[in-house]
Amino acid sequence: MDSSKFTFIDKSVTEIPEKMRPSLTYWQDAWRRLKNHKMAMAGLVGVVIIVMIAVFGPFFFSKSYSDQNLDYANVPPRLTIYQLEEGYNVFLTRDYKLLQVSDKGEIISRLKRTKTDPIKKHYTYEDKESGISVVLDFSYNLLPDKMGYPYDYTFIYGGEEIINPLKKVGNRTYPFGSDILGRDLMIRVVYGARISLTVALVASLVNLFIGVVYGSAAGYEGGRTDTVMMRFVDILNSIPLVLYVILIMVVVGNRGLWTMIIALGSVYWVVMARLVRGQVLSLKNQEFVLAAQALGVSKRQIIFRHLIPNAMGPIIVSMTMMIPSAVFTEAFIGFIGLGVSAPMASWGTLANDALSGLLSYPYQLFFPSLAIALTMLSFNFLGDGLRDALDPRLRKG
Amino acid sequence: MRNYFIRRLIYSLLTVLMIATVTFFMMHSIPGGPFTREKPVPPEIMRVLNEKYKLDQPLYMQYLDYMKGLVTFNLGPSFSKVGISVNDLIVEGFPQTAKVGFLAALLIIIMGVPFGIISALKQNRPIDYIVMFMATLGVTIPSFVIASLIIYFFAGKLGWIPPFGLSTMGSYIGPVVALAGYSLSFVTRLTRSSMLEVLRQDYVRTARANGLRELSVIGKHAVKNALIPVITYMGPTIAALMTGSFVVERIFAIPGIGRYFVESVSNRDYTVIMGITVIYAAFYVLMVLLVDMAYALIDPRIRFEKESK
Repeated sequence: MDSSKFTFIDKSVTEIPEKMRPSLTYWQDAWRRLKNHKMAMAGLVGVVIIVMIAVFGPFFFSKSYSDQNLDYANVPPRLTIYQLEEGYNVFLTRDYKLLQVSDKGEIISRLKRTKTDPIKKHYTYEDKESGISVVLDFSYNLLPDKMGYPYDYTFIYGGEEIINPLKKVGNRTYPFGSDILGRDLMIRVVYGARISLTVALVASLVNLFIGVVYGSAAGYEGGRTDTVMMRFVDILNSIPLVLYVILIMVVVGNRGLWTMIIALGSVYWVVMARLVRGQVLSLKNQEFVLAAQALGVSKRQIIFRHLIPNAMGPIIVSMTMMIPSAVFTEAFIGFIGLGVSAPMASWGTLANDALSGLLSYPYQLFFPSLAIALTMLSFNFLGDGLRDALDPRLRKG
Repeated sequence: MRNYFIRRLIYSLLTVLMIATVTFFMMHSIPGGPFTREKPVPPEIMRVLNEKYKLDQPLYMQYLDYMKGLVTFNLGPSFSKVGISVNDLIVEGFPQTAKVGFLAALLIIIMGVPFGIISALKQNRPIDYIVMFMATLGVTIPSFVIASLIIYFFAGKLGWIPPFGLSTMGSYIGPVVALAGYSLSFVTRLTRSSMLEVLRQDYVRTARANGLRELSVIGKHAVKNALIPVITYMGPTIAALMTGSFVVERIFAIPGIGRYFVESVSNRDYTVIMGITVIYAAFYVLMVLLVDMAYALIDPRIRFEKESK
């Protein structure tokens, strides 16, 4: 053969003339879908904000979550202030403490109660520094049906009776109010986010690890191993999980953060195990697994290199759904009084603390509950979006 | 079908026994006993107490003893409540718990399913958004918050319902709503998504193409299949509702069995813990069994699959 008879052909012949769209990997495609999902993106932003607040929030406060000030206990987030003199306002708490409040709503000091007149139902409060003395007349509250008076109490200052409040201001010192020991509720809610989210996240990771290993082992082995392993999961599943969490909490003893994580982590992995097993069962008969087996890849390698990565979509979705339910369970356990011990606070224990004073101080329940609801909402939205983005069954449409 | 049922029944009983066993040993592994007090009990009294309740015997003897009792439905005496047996506690408390739980389950079914169906049929219309908004809200708010809010507004501020107990008809409203809240929202969402999936299937189109009235397409063909995941979910949920929620019973001060839940664990009241767990497990297993039976009745595909096994 004479090589001169051959010529190189023009490269353009072999090239595809039309520019093809760049092919997207599974994750790129999922991300593209997720970006178009408005609710999911709102959820993602919410999750990021909540995590940021939990991580960095406490650095911005000068006070700690355990700092108490009994003088300022149970101060609500909105203050109804009465003006005694220009620039001197007072606020009466529900337990008849008189606080001096600035025009903007900062709490300045507490006035001392110096005299009590039980007959006329008068209290006299004094502020030694500025020499102000004011009489509180709370007799109206004790009259039958208040005798038609529209107000509960009045102040008598300088011989005049002050009936109408000046205005309502937001509490600058305690934006979310203070709790029964005078701790700042906002700081406690932010710290609570740390505790609640740490518990939820670590417990979910533990669940993820145990569930994935257990489920994939059962699914890949199949046969009798599978039956025995899954029967065990069935039995574990038909036990009231909360009862077991409580049992574990009591067994482990001290009620720190780790107890909670161990309790939640050791019980809730069954859902994940079931899911992974199902995924592995449907994947293990496919050709790529057969190819790996033919090449002599070890069992462990097949499971972790081939099967798990292919089941990652549903696993991640289930994980995002697991975090809010862990927050929920943690709140529930905190609420029944078995949560992290004081002065640490999770959202659940905060809600539990608020319950005893609910009718007088509803705001103490409101803020932790709001935090729980917002977290749940964000994770749920994100989870829904991820499911749409990652679930191959829905990709046909 | 009958063989299958019998096999399942035996398996269920075994499960309950297994759960009882696991709980028994786990419970006894907790440090401390039912008579451990902050002020130490004199050793002689301790010995007599242990002897009376057979706590001085080796663990396997206690276990065999308990299992013997369990088979004859004798759950033993309570350790912390003197002179009261666990059977008494359950007979006294269970009806209250079950009444509230049953009403909650009823509420979930008669509200959750129809709202889910309506929402699916009117997808992306205002009513769908309203229903889904409420349902999303429902799964994000913990039951103790719902219960507290009900007490605060309806019992405290408005005074429409009594804040505790089960004395009047009105007093059921609070606990039932608080108990049902989460599952109600979940069932609504589940029904909607399952209904949407079914409505897209070929046989629904065929039914429409054959000229069936819309009502019969939805009612006869679509809903039946859409309800399968709902039934799966409802089984264990009904079991959980009927055995009570500690939180709701505590907030509304209902004299049910849920309140013994935590109390008995911290008191190491072994027999009460066992009793409650076994009751719950029995209920759970029974519901799962019923759900499986219901499948077989609703869905011929499952029936044949099971029989061919």
